[in-house]
Amino acid sequence: MTDSEIVALAKERQDYFGELYERYFDQIFRFVFKRLGGLENEAGDITQHTFIKAMANLNKYEDRGLPFSSWLYRIAQNEVNMYFRNSKGNYTVEIDERKFKDLCEEAEINYMSSEQQEQLVQLLNELEQEHLDLLELRFFQGMSFKEIADIYSITEPNAKMRVYRILEKLNKKWSDEK
Amino acid sequence: MRKFSIHKENKELEPSEEQIRRHKDFSRLHHDYERLTKRGKKPIYQDPKLYMLLVLIGIILLIIFLED
Repeated sequence: MTDSEIVALAKERQDYFGELYERYFDQIFRFVFKRLGGLENEAGDITQHTFIKAMANLNKYEDRGLPFSSWLYRIAQNEVNMYFRNSKGNYTVEIDERKFKDLCEEAEINYMSSEQQEQLVQLLNELEQEHLDLLELRFFQGMSFKEIADIYSITEPNAKMRVYRILEKLNKKWSDEK
Repeated sequence: MRKFSIHKENKELEPSEEQIRRHKDFSRLHHDYERLTKRGKKPIYQDPKLYMLLVLIGIILLIIFLED
């Protein structure tokens, strides 16, 4: 059965939602787990909340030809952001050095010393949270522009343009800093 | 507020299958959903509008009874 068929059935009978849960729990859990930097229990709770919200709002879901998972990612994204907002003080997410280097390459920022890396992370942390979300999805979650576009309900070129504008902005800040 | 920091061990941040299994439980989800969305009806004394309506009906009946 396709996702659309199961969604239609789940709107009538909640039991069918279990099939969607089975299909997408693992990938949503992985997504949340990585965004939280590996906090297992919190990732479990947030993933459960994501599916509860999806179940509660399933009747509002409209099939616009986008994958059902992109709707779940959007809910999960909001849940994680709410978690960050509610966390007291700053919440630190560890990022892989290799992925950070990929980001630098795309932003046309040359390879740098550890000290400079720290400075650049500092600049990254000064970006707006919405911009950080996009960079995180692209570089630290390794999502394609198509997947990002589906989550934000925008076109693929638009997703690409947004990411590259943020990289340009980061590059400019970096040049000013130096 | 979220902040980034770099880790250099170059390990992939991926949950294990065991970690995923530990949290994957549709019956719990269903139970939580029922608990959140289908709470029992409020008792009358916790519903001010219904409570006031019953008091009003009581007063009207009492007045009718006393007039007779």
